[in-house]
Amino acid sequence: MHKMKTKNLVLLELALLIPFIFYSLYKNGYLIYSKGLISGVAIFKILYLLLISLGIKIGLDLIKYRKVKIDYNLVYAFLIPMIVPYNINYLLYTVITLISFIINFFLTKKISYNPVCLSYIAIILGEYLLFGLDFQSPLESNYTFSFSLIDLLFGRLTGGIASTSIILSLLAFSILIYNFYYKKDIPLYLNFTYLLLTFLYFLITKDSHFILNSEVIFASIFIAPLPLCSPFKRGWQIIYGILIGLVTFIFSLILNSIISVYLAILILSFLNNVKFRQKKSKNTPC
Amino acid sequence: MKPLIKLENEPDVFIVNNVNEFLNPLCIYIPLNATKVKEGQYFYKDTYLDNNLISISGYATLSNPKLFNGKWQKSIKIDNDFKENLSEKKIKPKVKTKEDLIVALEASHLEKIKDKINITQIDNLVISCFDEEIYEMNEFMCLAENYKELLKVIDDLKKILSLDKVTLAIKNTNVKGIKKVKSIKGVYPDLQIMLLPDRYLMSYPNNLCSYLNIPNAHTLILTTNEVYQIMEILKGKKISEIYLTISGNALKKSLIFKTKVGVSLIEIIKNYLKITSSSYEVYLNGYLKGVKMPSIDDVIITEDTKSIVIKKELEEEVSECINCGACMKICPVNINVKKCFFEGYQSKKCLGCGLCNYICPANLKLKEMVRGDNSAQDEN
Repeated sequence: MHKMKTKNLVLLELALLIPFIFYSLYKNGYLIYSKGLISGVAIFKILYLLLISLGIKIGLDLIKYRKVKIDYNLVYAFLIPMIVPYNINYLLYTVITLISFIINFFLTKKISYNPVCLSYIAIILGEYLLFGLDFQSPLESNYTFSFSLIDLLFGRLTGGIASTSIILSLLAFSILIYNFYYKKDIPLYLNFTYLLLTFLYFLITKDSHFILNSEVIFASIFIAPLPLCSPFKRGWQIIYGILIGLVTFIFSLILNSIISVYLAILILSFLNNVKFRQKKSKNTPC
Repeated sequence: MKPLIKLENEPDVFIVNNVNEFLNPLCIYIPLNATKVKEGQYFYKDTYLDNNLISISGYATLSNPKLFNGKWQKSIKIDNDFKENLSEKKIKPKVKTKEDLIVALEASHLEKIKDKINITQIDNLVISCFDEEIYEMNEFMCLAENYKELLKVIDDLKKILSLDKVTLAIKNTNVKGIKKVKSIKGVYPDLQIMLLPDRYLMSYPNNLCSYLNIPNAHTLILTTNEVYQIMEILKGKKISEIYLTISGNALKKSLIFKTKVGVSLIEIIKNYLKITSSSYEVYLNGYLKGVKMPSIDDVIITEDTKSIVIKKELEEEVSECINCGACMKICPVNINVKKCFFEGYQSKKCLGCGLCNYICPANLKLKEMVRGDNSAQDEN
């Protein structure tokens, strides 16, 4: 068994997220451009969003520490642009991400919460109130497709700009599961609970559209187990995963199925404050 | 029981598979407790001073405090006259029963072994060749070097303790030892050789018995070094020599020694080893379980010294806890390490194995907090 430092854990997560960015450049870039629905510059929308969040993270690092730190804020800066819808407004995205990072930089030690989900929900709420919420890309709203299951698994579902590929998510999970530091029980129990409930729902109502939800899989693998905002003990990780699966399913029925998992993770991440809050002693070097 | 894990050795630490004898030191140091010693007093080999064995003969001089088992203690220095003068003749004890063995062990101040054997019922005897630390190879080399004599003593012990069979647990990577033992295995039909995987903490009785599928209760577990010490006592000798591994990435090469008790570490290093790094840290009895020494010059090898690790001093950045839970996941006794660390209390369950320190991605010194500060005492 090899020891990994925080820096290496962050870099591993980033490396696993890079294929999603390439897939986004194809699905939410080249394919839309090829139909003449966007300009050539708009192909790289995911990269622009990524640069904005990275710029905010690096800027705040330089202000606070006078150097750029490779910490979990870097993972957050990668994850936020990947899960937002294609039609996101750049200004709204920039303002909310900036506010979210400022809060995160100064609040994380006092309150435990999932900053990725908080940013996402704030962006979605802002988008809904100001511009009207639309998860479909120009291609999806202008054309009607008949995709095979493989197409859907590979990422042709509607959802975040770079989070729709179930196959890539599962490949990343197959690597992460061998990492000793990864809280694998959370995605396992989350997906098990969600799939069980959607399958039971399907048996009762014959409605199958909740079963294949790429956002649940992506969020369960990359966002729910983020170490700083998830439970510490294994038993609580299992409960946390089951509860997120359950709450996600309930929100899917009453809200939008794409945002339900993020809202469930955000609400349940506040549980850490009750049960797992980190008390600091005089001895802590942190 | 949690499955035991294999810890990877650092690639730049390679321990040479030979034993170097360092049996003629210039001087030795003995801790001073109650007894008053005069300057120039003569000491015979194999005599005791405050329960500490004197391993050479020579004249004493008073010395500065030295580090004995990580603690500063007043000491005397005995300059070796290279005569190995004994005050009395060696007398071989007659050991035919368990009681005789206990008496012989008591006379030789081997309390730990005596306490192990002095239990009411022994159903199984297991000889363990597993070292406690990753950079220790004392048990391994003790078996490889003395296999013929050791197997004979193990057979004698079986008879003394009235047992039907004895189990010899060997690390499956110890090819040298396995080959040698198997070459004469036919002479000892009641000796069962068990090859076990190379895992950290395998030397713990619970883990060993679990892997061997035998109950921990009524099982006597002796290490090869302990059998070696029993062998010396049966020959009428005193335990004045120990096996010691000196390793680490700050050394040009890592070596195993058979050395006299009371020798200064710096004398061994000057004679055999070369420290390649200008800034280094010294750990007594292992990097994971051991304690950091404040000074290399004052470390004295005692009967309880098993290894010395000399590591390059790296500027390891201590970062914030990321709440990964790895410390608790790896802890063999399921201590909530993070809670202990941040709330500042100690756990009585802690084995001091150091796995929490090893695994922590933020480089937090968790063991020291959970177990209580066990670094060497400062001279002042």
